[in-house]
Amino acid sequence: MKAVILAANNSPRLQPFTETRAKAMIRVGGHYILEYTLKALGEAGIREVLLVVNHQQDALRRFFGDGSAWGLHLDYVVQEPVLGIGHALEVCRPQLENQSFLLVYGDTLFHGNPYQAALQAYSGSGASVATVALPPSSRDFGNVYLDHEMRITRLVEKPQGAMANYVLAGVFVLTPQIFSCLEACERDMARSLQQLLEATKVQATIWEEGWIDIIYPWHILEANQMVMDTWTHASIDASAKLMGNVQIQGAVVVEENVVIESGTVLKGPCFIGKNSYIGNNTLVRHHSAVGPLSVVGYGSELKNCVIFGSSDLGRLSFIGDSVVGEGVQLGSGVTTVNHHWDQQTVRCSLAEGTIDTQLQKAGAFIGDGSIIGARHTISPGALVPSGTIHSDNLSL
Amino acid sequence: MCGISGIVSAEPISRRLLSSIRSQEYRGYDSCGMGTLHEGTLHIRKSTGGVDEVNAKEDLLALQGALGIAHTRWATHGGVTPENAHPHRSMNGEFALAHNGIISNYQELREELKSQGITFHSQTDTEVLVNLVQVAYQTCEDVEEAFVAALHRVEGSFGVILMTPHEPETLFCAKHESPLVIGLGVNENFIGSDINAFLEYTRRALVLEDGEYAVLKRDTCAVKQLSNQQPVDKSVLMVDWDTETTKKGGFAHYMLKEIFDEPHTIRQALKVPDPSIQGLAQILEDSQQGYLMGVGTTYYVAQIAQYLFSQMAGRYLPTISSDEFAEVSSIQSGDAVIAVSQSGETYDTKTALQYAQRQGAKTGAVVNVMGSSISMLVDHVVMQGSGPEICVVSTKAALAQVILLMRTALELGVRTQRLTPEQARGHQAALESLPEAVEASLNEQSGFLRNLARQTHQVQNWLFLGCGIYYPVAMESALKMKEVTYQHAEGMPAGFLKHGTLSLIEPSVHSLFFIPPPEQKGLHDRTLIAMEEIRTRGGTVVGFCFQEDERAQSILHHAIVLPSESTFTAPLLQMVMAQLLSYYTALELKRAIDKPRNLAKSVTVG
Repeated sequence: MKAVILAANNSPRLQPFTETRAKAMIRVGGHYILEYTLKALGEAGIREVLLVVNHQQDALRRFFGDGSAWGLHLDYVVQEPVLGIGHALEVCRPQLENQSFLLVYGDTLFHGNPYQAALQAYSGSGASVATVALPPSSRDFGNVYLDHEMRITRLVEKPQGAMANYVLAGVFVLTPQIFSCLEACERDMARSLQQLLEATKVQATIWEEGWIDIIYPWHILEANQMVMDTWTHASIDASAKLMGNVQIQGAVVVEENVVIESGTVLKGPCFIGKNSYIGNNTLVRHHSAVGPLSVVGYGSELKNCVIFGSSDLGRLSFIGDSVVGEGVQLGSGVTTVNHHWDQQTVRCSLAEGTIDTQLQKAGAFIGDGSIIGARHTISPGALVPSGTIHSDNLSL
Repeated sequence: MCGISGIVSAEPISRRLLSSIRSQEYRGYDSCGMGTLHEGTLHIRKSTGGVDEVNAKEDLLALQGALGIAHTRWATHGGVTPENAHPHRSMNGEFALAHNGIISNYQELREELKSQGITFHSQTDTEVLVNLVQVAYQTCEDVEEAFVAALHRVEGSFGVILMTPHEPETLFCAKHESPLVIGLGVNENFIGSDINAFLEYTRRALVLEDGEYAVLKRDTCAVKQLSNQQPVDKSVLMVDWDTETTKKGGFAHYMLKEIFDEPHTIRQALKVPDPSIQGLAQILEDSQQGYLMGVGTTYYVAQIAQYLFSQMAGRYLPTISSDEFAEVSSIQSGDAVIAVSQSGETYDTKTALQYAQRQGAKTGAVVNVMGSSISMLVDHVVMQGSGPEICVVSTKAALAQVILLMRTALELGVRTQRLTPEQARGHQAALESLPEAVEASLNEQSGFLRNLARQTHQVQNWLFLGCGIYYPVAMESALKMKEVTYQHAEGMPAGFLKHGTLSLIEPSVHSLFFIPPPEQKGLHDRTLIAMEEIRTRGGTVVGFCFQEDERAQSILHHAIVLPSESTFTAPLLQMVMAQLLSYYTALELKRAIDKPRNLAKSVTVG
């Protein structure tokens, strides 16, 4: 069976990080989210994958190539223009050869292997299958009603009342019948699914393990936590140089050629990517992921943060509950303030308006290539567009 | 639900065929059978009982041949008898068939075949189907044509496999609304209701979709449309999964699946024929002293029923845990006892029933598994028809038992004139609308219960409290919480609290209240007083209440607000929601939900 992964969208709600990359190339726990998906698909027995691309596709093609590194045959299908999920499926249709296929939304990340479960439900019923999950709030998703045989009887998009249903989790096994529904519903995926479940049966498979739909920048931190929480032991590459008095506590992953100066404490789960340098007396706390080729200066503190890579964090900095893009330079003493003094939840100003993150702790979200000079203090929930330049914050 | 399998090979297959149905036993386990084709003759062995039991009785492994079919059954209609077990042969013995599903028009087809001189040995719909093939073959003399023609005649659902000496190296199979999967081996091929049937032998699978059939030989597999016999190109699914993953059937846990099955289970319990319920009511009506009995969950089911018999029928029925029955009951001739058992094999309950019979008392039972010891032992049995319950922790079966005892209480209430027929009809109507209410709550409240479990799963001490009939509901719900989460939960009447247990209260002790609708003013007031007692002493108060009960919501730290429900059925809705809370709590705690430590599904030892 072929799998179709949707990765063409430019995902404006995830800016600044999607200004410069496809969403599938967001890095959590040291790897791109698409890597996790491909690995799980391979484990589920999938061999052929159609990757629907458009936005920032060159980097995707360069990194993932023909998919052989994951034991898969990867074909790229360009969706031009990007007109939604139904349209993406139409674009793939010739290559699906009138066969059932596995559909995966490229912005979802799972703990465990939901693809096996979906394929199993398909093999047990021969019917279309939708994976459903129970998020803390079901408001942003397509809510489903399940009957006694775990068939989906009804879909309610983004309900308003006091409901907390299972929701569509972005994994489907679809029979070719979906295409006639798409034709009848002007390629609108929600309406097509509704028509499909009215015309025939759609089996639900409930996913009770971890699941995150990465919609907003702070979801990157949640996804990173979910991945790291599965780590059970420390792994230090033999080529890494740990100078005297470096403390390793818990599931700490250190890759090739990393140098960690003395006095540094690493509290797992945390990750230091290859060829990075961690200065003296640095404190790397739980759920911090430092991408490859990064430099963390003397006496800095990192906590629950994702640093994509090739960034330079100046001495005596604090990066907490924050995401730092690639090629960012932070001067010495930069502080991300990660909560409000009055314990109010952090709000974030996005293009679509101000959104309450519902989090008491959220720091900064700094786009690729930004340069922030020494001694800046960045407010909770600040979004820094890619390429922003702020000179040093000098007082004399 | 049943499990079927088939193998076409060049090697002897009996051992693999047996293992293929053993690994599908979770789909049904009241009878099974195997058939092979050897030297031009069909050989079939089948009987009642689980796979290993039937093998011990019938020596299934001794069947010779390289082509065969097998079946493990969960009876829906037609009793559990060796004749009703599959595979079924056609009248002339030339066709054998294993079938999973229900043929809805089988009665009229059966009459039609009878008029053509066909005689039947079983009450099954399957025997009708296999004879349709025989009759069709007599006209066309082509097995595939006959198979397709027969399937065009039937309505309903089927996963079906056919073998015949007319095509000694071929299996025919078809699917409509019941699952069927083909496994592609090397010089041999497999069929199963699910992948478990052949996962040990091949990992290449073809999934049949509705309206497709396949002609399977050792080295070929042709899939076609039933409607026009046109070939269908199927892609191979590579299965890299372990058997444990596949046995969950794509669902996280059976417990959740069985909770979601409850609306259907209630409907099934409401379909149990009136005479069956009347038989149970008759036993109680005729008795001088009636008793109710169960153990574990079924004891609490009986306790819930105890309130109903008192309130609806004016009959106080002492309710005793089966293991204590002989010690405390003074049962004698002229008395009666009604027992509740999901498996029908519960040792303590069986022993207590035998004791009651020795004392000369009448016995009745509500049982889920057809053909089980208790169902054979008692004077009158009500089969609850809830389908197989796989999770060790009973959810849907317990709910169905309550429904059936409710119906019995209503019947007895009308007989004792405690209820007018109008009142009984009103309660009956409430029962009939319960499935929809449960379905809506399961769908719309799941997320709230999951969020509550996220917040409270670390709580190690729970008090589950209720007044009136909500008291046994609290007891049953506390047992559920203990069984599946391993956290301590103690159920008790809410009024009991101030007589001792209140000394336990501190912020870490959580209490879960089962709050009646406000129109039951007395019960409601008493419940709220107990909630206040805990709240003012610093305890954390969680509760299930109904819409517009703002008083209760103002006391609760966490309220799960349910849609309004009739006072008769309201406790049942809360029982279901408490099952869901236990499930999500166990999920957060990563417990072995379907098989909690130290527990077994059916306790058949003393």
